[in-house]
Amino acid sequence: MSTFNLDVYMPVVILIALALLVAGGSLLLGGLIRPHNPNKLKETAYECGEEPVGSAWANFNVRFYVIALIFIIFDVESALMFPVAAVFKKFNQIGLGGTLLLSVFSFVLILVSGLIYCWKKGDLDWVKSFNSQPQLATKDK
Amino acid sequence: MNSTVVTYLSQSKELTLATEWLTKALGFNASSLVAFIVFAVVCLIVVGVMSTIGGLGTYAERKISADLQMRVGPNRVGPYGILQFLADGVKMILKEDIIPSGADRFTFILAPFLCLIGVFATLAVVPFSSGFMLADLNVGIFYLLGMASLVGVGVFLGGYASNSKWSMLGGMRGASQIISYEIPATITIISIVLLAGGLSMGTLIGGQGGMPQQWYLFHNPFSFIGFFIFFIASLAETNRAPFDLPEAESELVSGYHTEYSGMRFGLFALAEYIEVFVVCGVATALFLGGYKVPFDLGTGSILVEKLGMDEMLAKNLGQILEIGSFFTKTLGLYYVVIWVRWTLPRLRVDQLMTLCWKYLTPIAIFNLLGCAVWMYAFDGKSIYSLLFESVASVAGHH
Amino acid sequence: MFTNTLFLLSAALTIGGAFAVVYSENLMHACIFLLASFFGVAGLYACIGADFLAATQLVVYAGGVVILMLFAIMLTGGTANNFNRFGLEKIAAMGNKKTYFMAGITAVVSSLVLLKIIANVLRNQSSAALEANLPTVERIGTVLATDHILAFEISSVLLLGALIGAAVISRPRTEKND
Repeated sequence: MSTFNLDVYMPVVILIALALLVAGGSLLLGGLIRPHNPNKLKETAYECGEEPVGSAWANFNVRFYVIALIFIIFDVESALMFPVAAVFKKFNQIGLGGTLLLSVFSFVLILVSGLIYCWKKGDLDWVKSFNSQPQLATKDK
Repeated sequence: MNSTVVTYLSQSKELTLATEWLTKALGFNASSLVAFIVFAVVCLIVVGVMSTIGGLGTYAERKISADLQMRVGPNRVGPYGILQFLADGVKMILKEDIIPSGADRFTFILAPFLCLIGVFATLAVVPFSSGFMLADLNVGIFYLLGMASLVGVGVFLGGYASNSKWSMLGGMRGASQIISYEIPATITIISIVLLAGGLSMGTLIGGQGGMPQQWYLFHNPFSFIGFFIFFIASLAETNRAPFDLPEAESELVSGYHTEYSGMRFGLFALAEYIEVFVVCGVATALFLGGYKVPFDLGTGSILVEKLGMDEMLAKNLGQILEIGSFFTKTLGLYYVVIWVRWTLPRLRVDQLMTLCWKYLTPIAIFNLLGCAVWMYAFDGKSIYSLLFESVASVAGHH
Repeated sequence: MFTNTLFLLSAALTIGGAFAVVYSENLMHACIFLLASFFGVAGLYACIGADFLAATQLVVYAGGVVILMLFAIMLTGGTANNFNRFGLEKIAAMGNKKTYFMAGITAVVSSLVLLKIIANVLRNQSSAALEANLPTVERIGTVLATDHILAFEISSVLLLGALIGAAVISRPRTEKND
C-alpha cells in the first residue's frame, strides 16, 4: 500500500456503483412485472401523429459547434485560473498580492479582448448567423 | 486534509475499538475495510435520502404550483397527497418500456445511466455538515463541476439516440445550454475560491460564519452580484424554467426525453430533481454559509462549557444542528427554484444565448476581477467588518 | 487494497474504452467509449495522487472535448449512414502504401518515445515513497504564480488565438445583404 491514502475516493466509486445499481435494478425489477406488447406503430418515433419523415440525424447548424469550441476555451481558462485563485489569499497575506493581481488581471483581460472581438464581429449573436444562413436555419428551427 | 465522514466517526471510541478488533481477527490492517463499510453505509443513506428528496421534489413542485395557481394539487394518495411520489414511482416501474425501432439502442439505454451517474457522483462532495460530508476532496468544487458535466452528455445522447426530431432538437439545445451556462457559473465559483483560498468544500465554507453578515453573499458587492449570476446559471444548467427550452412542451413536445417512457423517463426526472438539490446545496455552501451555525454551536464547544455535556454527544448534537442549517437553506433555495418556474415565462433561444454570453459572462468576469481587487485592497475583510471597524474608530474619537 | 482496486478499475476502463473506440463501427458509440476512456485516465491520475489533474481531466475532457466531438459528429450529419458503407479500402486517402508507411513510422517513433519514458520507471524499481496527500492545487498554483508565470500568461494568448480562430472559421464565408 502506498503512503498516501486513496480511501477518500471510495465514496466516488461507491456512488457511481450505486447509480448503476439503482438505474439497472429498477429497470430489471420493472422488466419482471411490466407488460411487453410491442407493435410496429408503438415503436415509431413521435412526430405529431404522422409517420416520421426521414431520419432525425441530419446536419446541424455550425453555431452549436462554435459554442462548444468557445466553451472549451473558457473551460481550459478556468482550469488554469482555479489553482492561481486558490493561492491568491496566501500570496496576499505574505505581501505578494499585487504581483499576482497584476498577472490575474492581464490573464483575464487578454481573454476578455477575445470575447470583445467576437462580440463586435457578431459571433455571439444567435440571430445574425440565423439571417445569413437561411437554408440551415430553417432546418433546425 | 481530505477529511471524510470516516475521519469524523473515528473520533468515537466504538469505531476505533471495532477496527482494532477486526485487525486482530483478520490478521491485517482493517482500517481500510472499516472505512469501506462506513462509506458504503453512509452512501446508501445519502442516496436514499436524496432519492426521497428528489421524489418529494416532484410532489413539492406540483403542490407549490397548485398553490400559486389557486388549485388543490395532488391530494388523494396519503395525507395531503404526500405519498403521490411513491405512487408515481410504482407507476413508472409498471409502465411498458418502449424503445423506438429507429433508435440507437445502445445509446438510448445508456443515456439515463449517464445522467444518474453524473448526479450521484456529485453527492460525494456535497457538504451536509462538517463531519457528515462523504469526502472533503481537496479539489471538491472542481470535481463537482467535472462530474456534473456528465449530465450534459447524458441529455445530448438521450436526444440523439431517440432518432426523433423533437428529441434531437431538445438534446442539442440542452447540451449547448448546459455548457454555455457552465461558464458564468465556473467564473463565479473562481471568484469565491479567490476569497476562500482553497477548492475543498471545507475551506470554502470555513471562510464563512453562521451569521448572515459573515456569509460570502454579503462579503462584498461583487460576491453579492455573483450569487445571482450563479443562481441564474444553475437554473439554466439544470434545465429549469425559465430556461427549460430543452423540454419546452409548447414547441418541442417533451424535448430530449420525448421517446423515453416508464422507468427510463423516471431516471431522467430523478436525476434532474436531485441535481436541483445539489446545485442549491452548492449555492448554499458558496454563498450562504453552508452548514455553519451561529455561536459555534456546530463544534459543540459551547455546550460542553455551559451545560457540561459529554464532548462526543455535544459534537454529535452540533452535527445535527449543522445538517439542519444546511438543509434549511438548501430547501429554501429549492423552493425559490420552484417558485421561479411557475412565475416567469420561458426565454427564446436567442435570448437565452444573449443572456449567457452578453450579460452573465461579462458580469461574472467583472465580478472575478472585482473580488481580486477587493481582496488586495482590503486584505480580504468583508464589508461588514470594514464598516464595523470604521464605526468603532469614529466612536473611539469621540 | 482499495488503491489496487481503483487502479485496476481505471486501467481496465482506460484500455477497454480505448479498444472499444477503435473497434466500434459507429462513430457515436466510439465517442461514448472515448468518454469511458477519459474517465479511466482521470482515475489513473487519482491513483498517483494528482487530484487536481484528475478533476481537470474530468472538466476539460469528459465535459468539454466529448461534447465538442458529439457536436462535430452532428455537424457532419451524425451517423445517418451508420456504417462505413464503402469499406476501408475504398476511401481514396486511406489504406494505400503511402498511408501504411506513414502509420508504420508513426508507430515506431511513438513506441520509442514510450520506451524512453518507461525505461526510467523500469530502472528505478524502488519507487520513492510519495509524500502523503499534499494539496496539489496549492503547489500548482504557487508554481504557476511564481516560476511559470510567463507560461501562465502565454497560455492566455494561446487561448485567445484559439478563441478568435474558432470564431473566424465558423463565420459564413459570403455575407449576404438581406
